[in-house]
Amino acid sequence: MKALFWLSRQISECEWRARAVCGLFRSARNANTPELRGLRLLRSWLSPAQLAQLDAKGYFDVIGGQSGKTYRIKFGICANILELAEDGRPKVGWCVVPDGCLVAGDVMLAQKISLETCECAALAKANRFGAPTR
Amino acid sequence: MATQIVMDLNGDTRHQFDPNDAEAVAKAERRFKELTGSGFVAAERTSSGQSRLVKSFEPTASETLFFPRLVGG
Repeated sequence: MKALFWLSRQISECEWRARAVCGLFRSARNANTPELRGLRLLRSWLSPAQLAQLDAKGYFDVIGGQSGKTYRIKFGICANILELAEDGRPKVGWCVVPDGCLVAGDVMLAQKISLETCECAALAKANRFGAPTR
Repeated sequence: MATQIVMDLNGDTRHQFDPNDAEAVAKAERRFKELTGSGFVAAERTSSGQSRLVKSFEPTASETLFFPRLVGG
């Protein structure tokens, strides 16, 4: 029963996040705010699979270029990277961001490129946080 | 036209140049060196969803993205 409650909470959380991201993008398709520019840039650099995942779930997964590990990049500007265990559960969190004040789309794109192309260097700078529950 | 995209407070700023225009290429190369010299990381999109880091100026790259160096958050 507890597991069922946990699962339904996870699903509604993901759906809420996906709706928020899609809604933001749809509602202001023609706007030119920094947030939307960042989101457009991110979307244009994602693979089709990552884009579909972002639209459906509000996050996307990347494969570490050196270790082959899977990282989940959630919508946000800090503490938004989760390293996944082989069973897909979050194992540990990483916080590494571009220096300076950037919008979420830009931060997420810099994180994606870094993890895919220079994973070890990126993680060497990252702060690690405990295994999150979601 | 080739494009250099620089992440900044506005989301990004784009600089377009004609790869066949020697003066424009020289200006783009100066911008590349200034940005990477001040800590920006340059990346090029190679295929759908794939990218690679760029260490030196490549005038034939259709789109080069610059983002600030990463720091622990």
